[in-house]
Amino acid sequence: MDKRTPWGRVVTRSSITGVITVAVVIALWFFLTSVTGIVGQYRFPSPQDFLASFVRLATEGYAGGTLIEQTLQSLWLVACGFFTAIVIGVPLGFAMGYDRRIEAFLNPVFLLLRPIPPLAWIPLAIVWLGLSDGSKILVIFVAAFVPSVINTFTGVRNVDRTLVEAAKVHGAGTSRLISEVYLPDAAPMIFTGLRLSLQASWTTLVAAELVGAFLGLGRVLSTAYRDINTAMILVAMVVIAIAGAFTTILLAQVEKRVIKWRTT
Amino acid sequence: MSDIQFDGVTKVFGRGGKPFTAIGGIDFHVNDNEFISVVGPSGCGKTTLMRMVAGLETPTDGEVRVGGEKVTKPGPDRAVVFQQFALFPWKTVRKNITFGMRSRGASKAERDEAVAHYLKLMKMEGTEDSYPHQLSGGMQQRVAIARSYATDPGVLLMDEPFGALDAQTRTIMQEELVRLSHVNPRTVLFITHSVEEAVYLADRVVVMGRNPGKIREVIDVASTRKAEKWSEEPIDDVMEMPSFTHLRGQVWRLLREEMGEDI
Amino acid sequence: MRRDYGPLWPWSVAGLVLFFGIWQAVVSAGLVSNFVLPSPLEVLDRTITLLGRPFAGYLLHEHVFSSFMRFLGGFSLAAVIGVPLGLMMGRFRLLEDIVTPLFEGYRYVAPLAWVPFAALWFGTGIGGPIMVIFTGAFAPCVINAYRGARLVDTYLIEAAQTHGAGEFRIAKEVLLPGALPSIVAGLRISAGLGWQSLIGAELIVVSSGIGYVMVQGQSNLSPSTVMTAMFVIGLVGLGIDFVLRFVEARVRAKWEGK
Ligand SMILES: Nc1ncnc2c1ncn2[C@@H]1O[C@H](COP(=O)(O)OP(=O)(O)O)[C@@H](O)[C@H]1O
Ligand SMILES: [Mg+2]
Repeated sequence: MDKRTPWGRVVTRSSITGVITVAVVIALWFFLTSVTGIVGQYRFPSPQDFLASFVRLATEGYAGGTLIEQTLQSLWLVACGFFTAIVIGVPLGFAMGYDRRIEAFLNPVFLLLRPIPPLAWIPLAIVWLGLSDGSKILVIFVAAFVPSVINTFTGVRNVDRTLVEAAKVHGAGTSRLISEVYLPDAAPMIFTGLRLSLQASWTTLVAAELVGAFLGLGRVLSTAYRDINTAMILVAMVVIAIAGAFTTILLAQVEKRVIKWRTT
Repeated sequence: MSDIQFDGVTKVFGRGGKPFTAIGGIDFHVNDNEFISVVGPSGCGKTTLMRMVAGLETPTDGEVRVGGEKVTKPGPDRAVVFQQFALFPWKTVRKNITFGMRSRGASKAERDEAVAHYLKLMKMEGTEDSYPHQLSGGMQQRVAIARSYATDPGVLLMDEPFGALDAQTRTIMQEELVRLSHVNPRTVLFITHSVEEAVYLADRVVVMGRNPGKIREVIDVASTRKAEKWSEEPIDDVMEMPSFTHLRGQVWRLLREEMGEDI
Repeated sequence: MRRDYGPLWPWSVAGLVLFFGIWQAVVSAGLVSNFVLPSPLEVLDRTITLLGRPFAGYLLHEHVFSSFMRFLGGFSLAAVIGVPLGLMMGRFRLLEDIVTPLFEGYRYVAPLAWVPFAALWFGTGIGGPIMVIFTGAFAPCVINAYRGARLVDTYLIEAAQTHGAGEFRIAKEVLLPGALPSIVAGLRISAGLGWQSLIGAELIVVSSGIGYVMVQGQSNLSPSTVMTAMFVIGLVGLGIDFVLRFVEARVRAKWEGK
């Protein structure tokens, strides 16, 4: 099975080095915390504390819910914000890429709003919608919206002109042109946008839940911080990372199904 | 003393996959300050051979000694001129020429003198502050050659240095290289696919064969060149002299046999 | 063949007019309360006020300055550590193999999830926020330096080696300049992420800076203050990006035709 690192190199079985590294890091973790206590538990938890907290979150729960409840809550918010964003953002980006008048119409407003980082919308969302799910979905929406619009726009704008002309010559109308030329040709770029959107969704969710939430992984994180429970902080970070990785892999699978013709 | 000694040099490529013997046991000696041209069908291991002298590749078996010392890694005593010039695009001509000198810790005065010397020799005065992309291909390769000479290596390794140049520029460069090697004699290993170029430049021409890469024949040119006073004639005239065409034909025949069905 | 739409600027003007027009109209018509959405003019007015009257302890530009200084600290740290690390990973396979699994793990942790540890380890004054910015900005520095280094032609590195350059000179005079266009592009991404991470940190634990202005504006139910801060944050982000874009253009221009 070939897998690629973020640098695009194929991972082979020969990268035993990686396994050794991880083992060394875990051994070092043990050594610095459990064995010698050089790093105290108020700085970083020991592996045992970490596991105990994980079990505690999974069984008793923490900060108002069990592992499953907290994770589902966060996943739910990400899903709502992300899907709303792409359902609106991709067609919008498409329209902007397809018709220069629409681009001219929307672009200035877009340019005006784009420099504002999504996280900066959190206070306004709270003013508008309180600490509800709605306010978090709103910020995730804002975060996920921008990359999906920009990448779809870029993908459509850079569609291979010769393909378009070939389709026209062979009598394709607008709807066939869109579904059989523009969409497939822009698909890789659109998926790049979706990936960035998803990443932004998680970043924003964590921030929004840290600022204020009744449930969710960010809530676990902020409660653990207030309790100075470093083991639970680490558990929350790890769960967030895994949940994020899970959705990313899911999206990659979808991409692989959709873009079957891709050669690379 | 910068002679090159090849002792049973063998190179096998391909871990994992099928092992491939690129060089199959070469024994050869290059004298100090001798100019050796290497020709051979493509894929016969010329580049590999040169890279082992440079220390960019390690022999699977046997060893290469330069000046009596076994080659283990690259060093400024064996400067390479690459076919792709390999000039640093972000450095000016001056900085490129003095790159190797700075490895040796040459003083600023020495470096300035070398830049002036080589640019004058190559009729490129006034380009010291240009960037490579502002120069023609021929000028870029002149700078690359100057960089290697200025490093003052015992051995110069050139891998089809004129391969990327057009025919006229190539002829000019060949003449200049002859001139340069008179002013500045060095041990040179010069790889080329042009038989004319090989004969015109070399003291001896090495003809290689393939599968595995080996030396097929070594042809002496130096005695003929001296006897016929090639260096006193312009290149076009030399190439029409019977002594030259005779040697060229000899090399050609060998090469043709080596290429076999490729022709 | 390109479709001809006629002049496009009227569309742009229409878009802007409509955006601000609807916003102003909604407020003027009293459709929403002032505590929910202030008019564009009110935001402008509030901005001017905050420049002259302290809010949350300081004037607006003082808040911005303190945020910006933190940003510079974290961003520089990420660049100074990340770029050499990426370059070395591009040069040495072993280092790449060692760092990759750790980096993969780190990459999936949202930068803001570091806030609790950052606060516990380095406090909420300078150190904590710098660490949060660092975690946000680090990845693109490493990845782009790595990619840039891998794209440097092998024969340039070999030319340096056969002309006597040691590893340090290769890194400084071949890998770094060769990877520079990619590095600068990475720095632009880093800066954006770092700036946004700082705002997040200031929303959550830090009690000063432009992010904190928003928190105060929110709890005072003053959306005009919040929107002023958003406006300023966008402006600073734009400024940072503008500077780096300029650097990028310069680098590219110099490398052109290489
Ligand atoms: N790094 C390498 N790995 C595997 N095979 C190689 C490598 N370098 C060269 N070869 C093979 O060795 C043979 C000789 O190559 P080379 O020395 O480049 O030949 P030449 O320069 O004479 O054309 C070729 O068949 C080539 O495919
Ligand atoms: Mg070759």
